[in-house]
Amino acid sequence: MMRTLLLLLPAALLLAQTAPVHKAAAQTPAPVTNYKVSGNPNAAVEIDAYTDYECPHCARFFAEFMPQFTADYIKTGKVKFVHRDFPITQIHPHAQLAARYANAAGELGFYDIVVNQIFKTQDAWYSYGKNTGDIDAAVAQVLPPGAMQKVRELVKTDPRLDETVKKDVDMANNVDHINSTPTIVVVANGGKREPISTIMNMPYAIFKQYLDQKLAGK
Amino acid sequence: MNRLIHQGNLHRWLASGLIVGRLILGVIFVVAAYMKLRAPWIEFVGSLSAFELLPEWALTPVARTLPWAELALGVALISGIWQRWFALIASLLLTLFFTVMVRSYIVGLKIDCGCFGPGDALGPKTLARDFSMLALAVAVTVGSFRRTQNKMEPVIA
Repeated sequence: MMRTLLLLLPAALLLAQTAPVHKAAAQTPAPVTNYKVSGNPNAAVEIDAYTDYECPHCARFFAEFMPQFTADYIKTGKVKFVHRDFPITQIHPHAQLAARYANAAGELGFYDIVVNQIFKTQDAWYSYGKNTGDIDAAVAQVLPPGAMQKVRELVKTDPRLDETVKKDVDMANNVDHINSTPTIVVVANGGKREPISTIMNMPYAIFKQYLDQKLAGK
Repeated sequence: MNRLIHQGNLHRWLASGLIVGRLILGVIFVVAAYMKLRAPWIEFVGSLSAFELLPEWALTPVARTLPWAELALGVALISGIWQRWFALIASLLLTLFFTVMVRSYIVGLKIDCGCFGPGDALGPKTLARDFSMLALAVAVTVGSFRRTQNKMEPVIA
């Protein structure tokens, strides 16, 4: 009897691996602010990327992974891409403010350019060493003066900027169970949400192979 | 006479210890396999790649088969079939894992060990844990071979 049960164990695990996780899939993802979505909104495969503006690996993610990924999958409309905020404020005191700047720029239609600029200039403002945390100066380099003024006003006064971040953090904690950044979550055909936290360790070619399988419905 | 009773008790204790050790080892392998299999296989590719040891072509095959091999080994250890051979395989596998982990720690890689799925940072704690598992596996292997040897020895009246 014991041995029969043991023989059934691998089969049970296989089923557990392949069956959709109803708990996660059943929970409707939190509505995302539109500027955080790019690519094809109706694509069969959705990629959510959780990042923290003060995390060095996330800066590397945007510098090394995103350009190729954008060219291969976002610009070609193969996937829907959602950028989500997951500021780990206990160790990154400027991350929330950086997210406010990015989201304020998003409200005005400058999301991508400001997100890239914040990550690109991370060394100049992040909280390690003798940096000043002057995200404002970094953002001002890429926005027209009028837009920058509006961004500053929004950052100072608009509570929606923090609400957007909170929605993403809730999603990370309650649905995707994220505990590090950058983490991407792959969702194929509205099914099981598959978090991948080791994205920065793997060769891009293998990730591409995996994603192409998802797109082919395998 | 007392010495014989004492030896009998000792044998019983050792036999029980061997069963407990084998079961613990089996459960560890099943849990390690489960933690990897519940995540997408690509996650384990990232963990393996971080060790900077395997060539790119080997990452996917190893990531897709190793968790199943661990599961099979765990099930075999729990069931007790061919105990000494499966204990030996577990010892060799854990020696390999431990060597790779020590090497990665010495060269200063700041990575997840991936032993029990994602989020398991390589450090003194993970090294101590894996060393304990290796010590247990070696003990079970040695005990299993000795027990088989003792059973084969003729009983002298």
